[in-house]
Amino acid sequence: MTGERGSHDRRTVLKGLGVGGAAALAGCITGGRDDTTDGGDVGMADGVTAWSWDVAAESLDLTDEPYEEANGGSVTVEQFGRADMKDKYKSQLLAGEGAPAIATMESVDAAAWVDTNGLRDISGWIDDAGIKDGFVAGKWGPLEKDGGTYALPWDIGPVGTFYRKDVLESNEIDLTTVETWDQFIEEGKKLPDDQYMINLPSNDYDGLWRMLYRMLGGQPFAEDGAVAFDNDESVAVARTLKRVRDAGIANDVASWSSAWFNAFKEGSIASLNGGAWMEGTLKAELGGTAGKWRVMKPPAFSKGGPRATNWGGSNLVIADQVSDAKAQRAFDYMQFTLASKEQQLKMYQEYGIFPAYEPAYQSEAFDEGHDFLGGQGAGRLFADIAPEIPPYRYTVDTPEVTKAINENFSSMMAGDVSPSEAVSQAAQDVADRTGRDIA
Amino acid sequence: MREAQREFAWKVLTYAVLLVATLVTIVPLYWILVAMTLPESAFLSTATEPRLLPGGHFAENFAALQGRVDVAILGVERVLGFELGFLGAIGNSILIATVYTSLSILLCSMAGFAFAKYEFEFKEPIFYSILATLVLPIQLLVIPLFLLMSRLGMTNTYWAIILPWAANPLGIFLMRQNMKSIPDALLESARMDGATEFQVFYRVALPTMKSSLAALSIILFLFQWNLFLFPLVILGQDKYTIPVAISDLIGAQRVYYDQIMVAAGLSIVPIFLLFLFLQKYFVSGILAGSVKE
Repeated sequence: MTGERGSHDRRTVLKGLGVGGAAALAGCITGGRDDTTDGGDVGMADGVTAWSWDVAAESLDLTDEPYEEANGGSVTVEQFGRADMKDKYKSQLLAGEGAPAIATMESVDAAAWVDTNGLRDISGWIDDAGIKDGFVAGKWGPLEKDGGTYALPWDIGPVGTFYRKDVLESNEIDLTTVETWDQFIEEGKKLPDDQYMINLPSNDYDGLWRMLYRMLGGQPFAEDGAVAFDNDESVAVARTLKRVRDAGIANDVASWSSAWFNAFKEGSIASLNGGAWMEGTLKAELGGTAGKWRVMKPPAFSKGGPRATNWGGSNLVIADQVSDAKAQRAFDYMQFTLASKEQQLKMYQEYGIFPAYEPAYQSEAFDEGHDFLGGQGAGRLFADIAPEIPPYRYTVDTPEVTKAINENFSSMMAGDVSPSEAVSQAAQDVADRTGRDIA
Repeated sequence: MREAQREFAWKVLTYAVLLVATLVTIVPLYWILVAMTLPESAFLSTATEPRLLPGGHFAENFAALQGRVDVAILGVERVLGFELGFLGAIGNSILIATVYTSLSILLCSMAGFAFAKYEFEFKEPIFYSILATLVLPIQLLVIPLFLLMSRLGMTNTYWAIILPWAANPLGIFLMRQNMKSIPDALLESARMDGATEFQVFYRVALPTMKSSLAALSIILFLFQWNLFLFPLVILGQDKYTIPVAISDLIGAQRVYYDQIMVAAGLSIVPIFLLFLFLQKYFVSGILAGSVKE
């Protein structure tokens, strides 16, 4: 254990050195943009490139042609593996060369990307366009730094508990009356031994912890940057996860593997907490189960307690290194795509990408029943959750929180430490590794 | 009698340790070979029994991999008239690693020879400065190298990953150590017979270094074969090497483990063959020069 910790630390240090050194070098070498015209209308470039991954890339593909028809500029979408795109893009931000005009950025990465000083401050353009108030308020925090705004919000992931109604019904379980985790666990015990209520993968305790901790209004970091998750809310979440495991209602299958999808297909795992976008993923991978699914708000910790939280969500950014002409073209496309009821609806209906742009919620499309959910109108459920989602503070050290939670919760699940010890130790680990204080 | 017993016990112990080490090495490789022939649900789920023998699902996994990855190599796919898929990445890796190894062997042995056999101003400081670059982690070099290659107009070319490490510090160090063991008298007699300095190096020194060169080839080849971060940053998707192409199989909402297993299994083959052909030189090469005879 200590050996592992040691190598961990060394790697972190090396990584820090690498990025720091690289940033310094990039700063020395690049003298700024290739087109230094300042402000004013310099005219737009004819075409720009946008980088994205998976479904996000395919959604951008929905709007590039309509944009070209309406506004005349072309947008080429290039698709990558997600982790690859992030590494590649971030290196090119640091180098100050090679990056495309537009790229997809998850909110969770925002702090680290803004920190490279490679993103363009688009606050002026956002103000000029008067579109800021249209987006869900909780979305802006991570995108802003020192008065600048470095991205335009795209989608959010209000969380719902998706479940297989048919499987639960055949075991006389009715989730529509379930409001709390206590009830949820009790109901889960009715399932036979080879069926599970939920999946709790041992490599991703952090995922569910973050989702539920945010639901309780918890913040991983305080405003001054101190580590802030050693508190009652965090321990309550840890205790609940432990109870879920001990009650024998959770399986342990690697997320996103085909075995994982298969378990939902067969119904051997009966429910899953996911962002609104999860419906699109399930629909694409498990078309055969259409009509058997339903969705509800995730269980609360106490009756009447908050049930709104978020998983995932992206934004579009513009690299500072591209010319003003390209940047203007990029922003024009981003505004056309993201601050538009029509385009956002298209993405929502085609791929289930849930808009951060609130005017879209007024559309009747959000009241329509979804065949995949047996006619349930999930859009309205999520649109109701969206404005209630508490804000969440991501920092450059968010990945350390992920690691620390996973490591310490593994010990907790094994029974080596108590939930409160696991949470305290995780906070201590983050503080030790990042040099931050504990709030 | 007692002596014989002790010897026997030692032998048993030695073989036991070797056996464990062999198992530890082979089991993960064997598991890849098994997994690449099974549907993903058969090797990744706790619900099914672990399978120890290969299944018959390789063709499906391979077809799925080919459908997902598409890498080109030097326009070969245009000549052939069909897309190479992941095989293109294997081709790129072999091409890059081969050119790199040949070039690097030449540079490293020449530099090693110079440091071992010539006297010149600041020889030691220069040598140790080269050696010192060994401690620079690749993460630190990525951005400056990217900028350098970009200024040279070499982004998204094979040269961008071949040239930066062509003069490999580890290679120079190894060759210098080994070249030191060549008797000066041998080189001197060649000179007396009228050989030029290049002939002394190429005709006299190099032939004695065969096993060291073979060992260094494997080290250099593997180094290039395993490079990930820099190729990812500097190469376009059409020129991806194996590690980068495999990593692209990890999507945001789906990890294609079955395809990753096929890709990993296939990419073992070239390196396995290389080692097979060069293995008899490998160990002797590493040990050469470690003892003064």
